[in-house]
Amino acid sequence: MSEVIVVTSGKGGVGKTTTSANVGTGLAKLDKRVVLIDTDIGLRNLDVVMGLENRIVYNLVDVIEGNCRMKQALIKDKRYPNLCLLPSAQTRDKSSVTPEQMKKLTEELREEYDYIILDCPAGIEQGFKNAIAGADRAIIVTTPEVSAIRDADRIIGLLEANELKRTDLIVNRIRMDMVKRGDMMSIADVVDILGIDLIGAVPDDESIVISTNQGEPLVGDDSLAGQAFMNICYRVMGEEVPWLDLSGKSSLWSKISDIFKKK
Amino acid sequence: MKNAVKIKSNKFGITIVLDQEIPFEELKEKVAEKFREAAGFFGSVQMAVSLEGRTLSEEEQWEILDSVTENSQIQIVCIVDSDEEKAESFRQSMNHKLNELSAQNGQFYKGMLRSGQVLETETSIVILGDVNPGAKIVSKGNIIILGALKGIAYAGAAGNGSAFVVALEMNPCQIRIADVIARSSDERKKIDKEPKIAFIENGNIYIEPLSRDILKIIH
Repeated sequence: MSEVIVVTSGKGGVGKTTTSANVGTGLAKLDKRVVLIDTDIGLRNLDVVMGLENRIVYNLVDVIEGNCRMKQALIKDKRYPNLCLLPSAQTRDKSSVTPEQMKKLTEELREEYDYIILDCPAGIEQGFKNAIAGADRAIIVTTPEVSAIRDADRIIGLLEANELKRTDLIVNRIRMDMVKRGDMMSIADVVDILGIDLIGAVPDDESIVISTNQGEPLVGDDSLAGQAFMNICYRVMGEEVPWLDLSGKSSLWSKISDIFKKK
Repeated sequence: MKNAVKIKSNKFGITIVLDQEIPFEELKEKVAEKFREAAGFFGSVQMAVSLEGRTLSEEEQWEILDSVTENSQIQIVCIVDSDEEKAESFRQSMNHKLNELSAQNGQFYKGMLRSGQVLETETSIVILGDVNPGAKIVSKGNIIILGALKGIAYAGAAGNGSAFVVALEMNPCQIRIADVIARSSDERKKIDKEPKIAFIENGNIYIEPLSRDILKIIH
């Protein structure tokens, strides 16, 4: 059974594209057939984060307008052969696509892929409507800031109105040191306000910036953020994974005990 | 006699459909009349003409064509037979001619091309400025960038394999020449800021420093 998941947030810059790239790559790592779709027409950057920009010949709008076949536009990832990217068009705008067309497109992809992940643009206009049209479930990304949470709340309301089966929450860019000082909302606070299931929390990590700039998703590596994203992938697949300690102060003792735990 | 002469457009220019019944002199007159009327519509253009509907001797053909050129500002580049093979060879020579034209003539653009911007030209183009990632230049001729090429350059877009791309700083995301596509390497390399040229050789795109020896190879 394939699933269409939209990654959305309302507010810009909270990490939708990073999340899409990492969750997509992580699921591919777990041997799922995954296609990532960048629905941010006119402001694409999932291709850049995935390091696949130089391979783009055709894009989403070309597929929808029938200028090329789906197979021609799908870019195979350089690391995982079971991962594909459908890039968006840079020289067009959101009105080039309608929700009905997106729905048809995702239906077509369902036949060949286990997970179809849609990277949604910021905002609640046409681009958002296109992205959610074919989705079964949503992952809401937010940061522990009032502005992001306010927008996330609005988005959740809109998704409920569109009768999506399931919405999960990722709290991104959390800083445990600030939470401890009482300067930042805790994960529990955010979950409490938004009232949806938490599927993961990702710490504010330098390695994210590095990985984004290099076009190499960090999911599954040793960094705290890489582990957090991997756990999210397991939870997306419905597995139970223990919650990661995000305090980042991994002492020598905890590292040693980690090694034993893995065995 | 109505519609003894009909003008239709086709891929390369126009088709003149001639009536096969009426006497030749009368037909010639009709052609003249038709093109006098249509002269304003066509304006001064170069196009290919094909004749249909009537078998003409070579002399008659010339007379018809003369009557077209005399009564309008159309310049007839060549005559096309409706037969497939000839049409194909004609298409090739037409493309060749167009390619030559687009490579020889040039345009000039000053400014920076930013992400999402596309510059398309029928001729060669010189750009005084940078081409940023996400921007694209499409030219049927050559592309010369007096700045950094970081986006996509597509030279010889109509199929001219001898087109080339020159940039002062060659760091493209993708280069296409005619029907060949090359993409940047996935390793991050330091880009040396020397002028370089991209061209096709043996079906591959090569990027070389712009030296005298290289220029000798390129025609």
